[in-house]
Amino acid sequence: MLKVVANAALRLFILTLCAGSVHAAEVEVTDAKLSLLPGDLPSAGYFNLTNTSDAPLVLVGAESASFHMTELHVSTNEDDVAQMHAVEEIEVAPGESFIFAPMGYHLMFMHRTQVLEEGDSVEVVLHFKDQQELQVPFNVVAPGAH
Amino acid sequence: MCNRLLFVLALLLLVGCSDQQWRTTDISEIMPALDFDLVNEDGVEVDETLYEDKATLLYFGYTHCPDICPITLAKMASAIRQLDTDAREHIQVLFISVDPRRDTIDVLRQYTDAFGPEFVGLTGSNADIDAVANRYRVTYGYGDEDASGNYNVTHTSAVFAFDQQGQAAFMIREGDTLKSIVADLNRLISL
Repeated sequence: MLKVVANAALRLFILTLCAGSVHAAEVEVTDAKLSLLPGDLPSAGYFNLTNTSDAPLVLVGAESASFHMTELHVSTNEDDVAQMHAVEEIEVAPGESFIFAPMGYHLMFMHRTQVLEEGDSVEVVLHFKDQQELQVPFNVVAPGAH
Repeated sequence: MCNRLLFVLALLLLVGCSDQQWRTTDISEIMPALDFDLVNEDGVEVDETLYEDKATLLYFGYTHCPDICPITLAKMASAIRQLDTDAREHIQVLFISVDPRRDTIDVLRQYTDAFGPEFVGLTGSNADIDAVANRYRVTYGYGDEDASGNYNVTHTSAVFAFDQQGQAAFMIREGDTLKSIVADLNRLISL
């Protein structure tokens, strides 16, 4: 239990975003994981995003120096048919959370620039509307790892 | 009255004992036996006879799929790891690529190794893949390429299970719990 609490604390990032914004927004990111596939296959990023401010928060993209391309994606699995497509932006209302989780919304990391292994930490910059950004370390894990 | 009630209870008990329903979706009456002509991840032309004597989980996907495919395969790996060591020897997972252009033999082998020794990658010409896909009513299609040549593939996401004689048994869908899958795998191996 203590370990769980400690891990949660390590994964909790609360930053005040103010660059280029009239109203400072606050955002909380927890449980950021990068689900790694071997070789140059794309990886998925999962995390919980909470808007702790009183203004809407709009995620418009992400990037990482460890990959050439990072996109916001969503998977759907209706009638046993798996599909995936890119998403332009995701709006999170004040006080609300948005979960990037397996079989749904995720970051898609493509074409890595460096060798990665499970246990590594990858820095990812989340870009929000109005030039706000937040750097978050993602723990590199095996697919399906909790 | 009392006798009649006992009779009904006994009947219910018997029905319960002989219940052959899978916890996942039964496909034994609607899907044909395991049958394919493909190339395995060692570059060898193979058919289903090479994979006889083991129960088979069959999944159609592509390695450049970062979310649904690896999460599904990881779930199968978790289920297999919950089986007894002896039972694990009697099951295999065949991953048929529906993206042979990018899924080379080397990519496939590296990919399946990430999930465990029970996983084997299969590929082939689009015609050979189509023959298997059509057999199991699996669909797939390619999205537009971006400037870097990346593209998404839409595909059937269910996992088809066959017994050790190659007969179709059940189908695992996204909503099926690990507990149900483990129970069905144990029963599949005992058939």
